[in-house]
Amino acid sequence: MTSETKSNLARLGLMIAVYLILAARIPSYYSQPGIAALLDSAVLAGIIAIGVGLTMIAGEMDLSVGSMAAFAGILSIQLFPYGMVPVLVIVVLFCGLLGALQGYCIYKLNISSMVFTIGTLIALRGLTLVVSNEKTVLIPFENIAETDFLSAKFFVFSIPSATLLVLVLLVDFFSRRTLWGREIFAIGGGRGEARAAGVSIRRPIIVAFSISAALAGLAGALLSFRTGSASPLGFEAVLLEAVTACLIGGIALAGGRGSILGVLIGLFTIRFLVSGIAALGAPFWMQSLATGALLIFVIIAEAAIGYVTRRRRMARALTA
Amino acid sequence: MLRMSGIVKSYGPTRVLEDVDLAVEAGEVMALMGENGAGKSTLVKILAGIEPADGGTISIDGAAVSIRSPGHAQAAGIGYVAQELSIVESLSVAENVFLGDETLGFFRSAASLARRARPYLERVGLDHIDPLSLAEEHSVAERQLVEIARLLSRKARIAILDEPTAALSETEIVRVKAAVRTLAAEGCAIIYVTHRMPEVFDLTQKVTVLRNGKSFPAVETAGLSIGDLIEAMLGRQLGQMFPPRAAHAGEEILRLDACRASGLKAPVSLSLRKGEILALAGQVGSGAGAVLRMLAGVTPIQSGSVTLEGGAYAPSGIAGSIARKVLYCSDDRKRDGIFAVRSVPENLSAPALSAVSRFGLLSPALEGEHVTRIARQFGLGERFLGRLAGNLSGGNQQKVALGKWIGLDPKILLVEEPTRGVDVGARSEIYSHLRKLADEGLSIIFASSDTQEVLGLADRIASFFHGELVRICDADDVTAESLTRDVTRASEAA
Amino acid sequence: MTSQDVSHRAKVTLPKTAYGLIAILVLLVVASVTTPGFARVDNIFVVIRAASLTGIVAIGMSYITISGNLFALSASALGALLAVLFALLTAALGFAAGLFLTLGIAVLCGLAQSVAISLIGNPIITTLAFGTVFRGLAALFSGNSILRIESEAALWLGTARPLGIPTQSWAFIIAAILSWFIIRHFKIGREIVLCGANPKAAVASGLRVGLVTAIACAALSIGVAVMAIMTVSQFSQAKADLFMGYDFDYIAAVLVGGIALRGGKGTPLQAALGAVLIALLQNFMLLHGLSAGVRMTIVGLLVIASISLFHILQGRGR
Repeated sequence: MTSETKSNLARLGLMIAVYLILAARIPSYYSQPGIAALLDSAVLAGIIAIGVGLTMIAGEMDLSVGSMAAFAGILSIQLFPYGMVPVLVIVVLFCGLLGALQGYCIYKLNISSMVFTIGTLIALRGLTLVVSNEKTVLIPFENIAETDFLSAKFFVFSIPSATLLVLVLLVDFFSRRTLWGREIFAIGGGRGEARAAGVSIRRPIIVAFSISAALAGLAGALLSFRTGSASPLGFEAVLLEAVTACLIGGIALAGGRGSILGVLIGLFTIRFLVSGIAALGAPFWMQSLATGALLIFVIIAEAAIGYVTRRRRMARALTA
Repeated sequence: MLRMSGIVKSYGPTRVLEDVDLAVEAGEVMALMGENGAGKSTLVKILAGIEPADGGTISIDGAAVSIRSPGHAQAAGIGYVAQELSIVESLSVAENVFLGDETLGFFRSAASLARRARPYLERVGLDHIDPLSLAEEHSVAERQLVEIARLLSRKARIAILDEPTAALSETEIVRVKAAVRTLAAEGCAIIYVTHRMPEVFDLTQKVTVLRNGKSFPAVETAGLSIGDLIEAMLGRQLGQMFPPRAAHAGEEILRLDACRASGLKAPVSLSLRKGEILALAGQVGSGAGAVLRMLAGVTPIQSGSVTLEGGAYAPSGIAGSIARKVLYCSDDRKRDGIFAVRSVPENLSAPALSAVSRFGLLSPALEGEHVTRIARQFGLGERFLGRLAGNLSGGNQQKVALGKWIGLDPKILLVEEPTRGVDVGARSEIYSHLRKLADEGLSIIFASSDTQEVLGLADRIASFFHGELVRICDADDVTAESLTRDVTRASEAA
Repeated sequence: MTSQDVSHRAKVTLPKTAYGLIAILVLLVVASVTTPGFARVDNIFVVIRAASLTGIVAIGMSYITISGNLFALSASALGALLAVLFALLTAALGFAAGLFLTLGIAVLCGLAQSVAISLIGNPIITTLAFGTVFRGLAALFSGNSILRIESEAALWLGTARPLGIPTQSWAFIIAAILSWFIIRHFKIGREIVLCGANPKAAVASGLRVGLVTAIACAALSIGVAVMAIMTVSQFSQAKADLFMGYDFDYIAAVLVGGIALRGGKGTPLQAALGAVLIALLQNFMLLHGLSAGVRMTIVGLLVIASISLFHILQGRGR
């Protein structure tokens, strides 16, 4: 068993433990509608976390996803009269294009992506306010029934939550089994080494940021359709949850390690915890407090584990 | 097969290569030798497309080729294994074999990559390792072999190996040599850059020697004596560059007893006297630098004891060695020697901030005095003091990197490669400044792979090969030839 | 001496602060000419007051940036927490105790973050997490309701105008001058600059990199505390959602001021000028009737443009 499988099993164990502990106190955790609600609650942060995870694997980080989702939400509600599916496709493609442009700038300027995406985060949020006239936009009341199918449940799955699971599988396949996906891993694991071996740096950066933006757009559009409204100030807190999901799921801050399936594990660890806290009657701000505390705990634990393994490896090298 | 002729290259006003000729045939291993600074790496980089040549022609199989980028080189069938490996540790061995190879199609599974990688891995003697395991789980030697497997997979017809064995142990070297023979047996033309005599005589059919940027005609290795080879390499006569040696040295200040640290394969014992300049001579991976890093507290002392002025000395970290006035200047000043975006005075006072401030406030008068004193001692003119350190020439940067320590009144100065990337004029200045400091009572240990520098500057010389101390002699008893023999282990090649 | 030395001698470089001043002057002239009411004294006061509190935090943020830690995303949340705590403490123990305890807690919060940053090495993620924790704690302590204080001293601090200038602006000016002095003339200031310029060389020179991160985080926290205390004093109330979304203004001020993101360059004065520039621009856009969205877009684009420009000027692009 490789160390990677071992750590993934540990993460899976953590997720199951969190589930079991809370399920013991919350009956809805093992009812069919309860599980369906848990799945649905994970859609937004989940779809976004896939993209953020890819950029983190590439050794970068896309902080602009929240603004991108809000932008896509407003656009898709405003374009609603043109039909849901075409609008979804157009909005996702447009966001993907914006992401590609962002990736190109980051590559070309050779700038820290965390710095650059802070800029786009502000600008996109402003643009969203402009496009929406600073008002929450709504689907006309007479059309609202058209979006009901997004909330319909098939067994425990709704269309959005099924989309999340399919996307996880797809992007996981992409990152594992295609040239472009492996390039993302390569430049994250060792940028200098990858370049010396002849790997292009430009393509994986553009691909990662473009997927990240497209998925953020998709998440924003889907969620806005489901609720029938979009606020220009929405989706601000999603970045934290997405990054936390990635880190709990085993994507290294330094890049190059982790998997998209792992992100799913991290995502549900948070969801079980946060929904559980909510179900136990804690006020809403307790949820973000819990997410933040969890993130601090995870990164410090990772830093400590990394330190110990390095020490141990060094000790082994010395005795060898 | 490969013919390079009339290659010329200058960096600014410095001519690095003048009219270099080189030819390799298919199936042949050719050693490229020469002292540090002779132009080996520049030549190799031109061939690999990393640096453009200023003039000359390159032809493969009789047809002229133009190599302007690493991509061109790869397309022309030239593979390059640099000293710094290009293995991504977090990827599997199989993926590293095919890293940067886009010909395998868009979809690729770990299993199919592993299947395709296996034959190449077998040919370099890595049949026992799992292609799916991560590269980080393997030793440096095995990673080196993975690089060679990558060359094989790319069907390279010309392979450049730049000191592939520098960081390896004897048993590991055997495996790399076997892999190189496999490459040659498959019809690959190999340019093998090395400093190690045993490998030259064991592995290569021809030797091309570079000296001061000029090439000698290639010679058959079989008909060559070590003496001839060393003589060809050592042509530089720079006797006037060096200041006269110290008349006498003081009492012992530092003693190492059977010390081991990371990078040393055998315990090292040596001593240093006050006002003495001790050279640790050796190539990359010889252990000379490892001794300095151990004394500087960068790597821990694993066993043995160090005595400084009669007291035990075991620094924990850089701060510990600085507190004992043992100061270290690494071989990479850009990385950790200078603050490139800050001015020269700020660089010079950086380690001595406490000394130039009062009650937590920097005193311009104290700092100015401090900076002027160092600048005078190290010959840094007034006009440099307003500049950013990063905008200085290599020589002046090195003076800044060294000079910043002088203000702390060091007992021992540890310098790794004191004149790497420094032009000839600044070199002799740095030598005379170091000698002057030694005359004033400072003890200096420097590690260097430059034979002339070792011979010219040191009072005593400790030669290192492959993580082991070979011998310690007075500089007067050492000749360029005997030193080159020691640091290349010529005795084993005979 | 070689040609490399010569090539750089002829280049005359303006100090970075000059760019900020020039930009402010240009904006002032353009605004006064095109905008009726812009150059009026009371409007200028509005601008300075608006710039003051943002500017104080931006000055604190510049310590983080100069020390090589990019920036912190927790400033606005910490502000809310400190505002709530200040209101609670003032109500319970009086103004003076509230003031000093709040400052003390601010420093502790800064130190906690610096320890985490040193461990993890990624200031942005660390402060993102701390931000939510601070915001959550603010809600927890305030019971998510509006807290009111009644204190003459606080009211004076929040609304007085000694010599006709608001206290906020006094604090801003003092913070700017003091910070400039610290970075330029204090030993620790020099250490901050050097650690930001090249952390590896700083370690090799025996400088205390961990201490520098701690000081930088503490400086930001103090700036945040000043903002929180002054805001609570001015309006005599505090709530957990104060300063929501302000983080970008602080970062924008630092970036527009032209402080190099790689650290080791720039002074807090540039952040102060950046804050004034952003406030002027906001005021100018407001007088022209631009909506909040357009204003935010323009500020965002300005941030992207300035980081790209300064980055290219340093020759770091490909």
